[in-house]
Amino acid sequence: MTSEPVAAYPARDQYARPLLVALLSGCGVALLLGLYAKLHHPTKYALDVGGFSSPLYAKAWLTTAAAVFAIVQLITGARITRQAAPAWMATVHRWSGRIAILLTVPVIIHCIYALGFGTYSARVIAHSVLGCIFYGAFVTKMLCLVRRDAMPKWVFPVMGGVVFVSLIALWATSALWLFATKGVHS
Amino acid sequence: MTRQGPLITLGSVLLLTVVFLLANTQAAKPGSTVAAPTAAASAVPPATTAPLHALYAGRSSGDQVTVAIAVNGRKVAADLNAGQASEVSLQGSVNGGKFTLTSQNGPGLTGSISGQDMFGTVTGFLGQSFPFSAAQAVVQAVYTGRSSGNQVTLAVDTQGDEAAAYICNGKTIEAWLQGSVHGNQVSLTGNKGASLTGSLSGLDMFGTVTAGAGLSFPFSAELSPRPAGVYQARIAVNGLATRIGWAVLPDGTQVGVAVAGTTKYPAPSLDLSNNSFTLDGSSFTAAPVAGRDTVVSP
Repeated sequence: MTSEPVAAYPARDQYARPLLVALLSGCGVALLLGLYAKLHHPTKYALDVGGFSSPLYAKAWLTTAAAVFAIVQLITGARITRQAAPAWMATVHRWSGRIAILLTVPVIIHCIYALGFGTYSARVIAHSVLGCIFYGAFVTKMLCLVRRDAMPKWVFPVMGGVVFVSLIALWATSALWLFATKGVHS
Repeated sequence: MTRQGPLITLGSVLLLTVVFLLANTQAAKPGSTVAAPTAAASAVPPATTAPLHALYAGRSSGDQVTVAIAVNGRKVAADLNAGQASEVSLQGSVNGGKFTLTSQNGPGLTGSISGQDMFGTVTGFLGQSFPFSAAQAVVQAVYTGRSSGNQVTLAVDTQGDEAAAYICNGKTIEAWLQGSVHGNQVSLTGNKGASLTGSLSGLDMFGTVTAGAGLSFPFSAELSPRPAGVYQARIAVNGLATRIGWAVLPDGTQVGVAVAGTTKYPAPSLDLSNNSFTLDGSSFTAAPVAGRDTVVSP
């Protein structure tokens, strides 16, 4: 069966499949994380980063550092596609993003391995859901970047925005809450 | 055009995740086999109040610390031991099923009762917190005594929350009893209206024992060391199925009755060194009865 050439919308077929793959992969990652966190029996105990008064504070400061890098991401990401953007801006954007995401890895492992998908308060539910969304959106954005030429222009601001907003919301529902209730210390 | 950069970023995140997850499964492996404290608390617990007197023994989920907890009324004492001379004693209280213990130099313990088990957390011990689980130790104890008018002698064996008892006067009155211990309340029943109700107070048991119609007596008994206890033998004498019971006091005094059909006669003397006795020229062996043994046929 031969398909009718759709001359009016040539761009659609061009990016439909890579974008769909990226979006579905992100959804799959978010779903897997949520299912694992919910079904895995929480150990209440996990390796943590030394030098802090408790694993909770180690996680809070790692998340805070990641959030700072996320703000760098927002500033550089907003200017990166402009013609006047200097070359170093793309490098800063890439590396601040890599550092930010790597900083969150020990945190999420502790979250899902030791604690699991919590539903005992609105803050915890929001945090659990946001955690899944954050990594799903991150995977989607990375997969979109792999085929950057095949993507529509709006994809990166939108996905970048989702990643940024979810990370800041994650920070607000965990580290900010901890600092506000237990005080700011290491 | 396919770009490598984002894939490398994704790959490194995945790699770091796998490394952390593997490190955790190696480090926390023993913990995964022990039910976590709060997970147990959120499940529907069979019983959440602490017994009046009990011993709990267990260990932390990572096997680093052994925990021994003794409950005496509302007071609780615990011993934490991590080997290498790291031993700490804690004192505290129990409120409902919640335990809170502290020590002078930092370590603390919180726990809650779930059925026969206790789940909780040791805090500030060796600079760390350890979740732990402990099981209630089954303690066997024998209480022996007499009714206030010395009409009957009795022996009650308790094993955890189960109890078995024998009461008799050494001639014609005798009854086997079966029952339970809840907190400090002891309640046993037997055939033909026989019963025993009592309460534990320190090392003593006080109450009322009924051996049959019109044979109700107040009694006192006390926690007794061996050879005190309930002893039983089921033998055939001259072709007659005979059941013999003895209530033995800690000084070796024994009172027993043999029952063959409707005939009752004083029990033969029991040699407490090997639980043997001689009846009608033949040698037999009696057995000590524990709280969990069945002494009253349903």
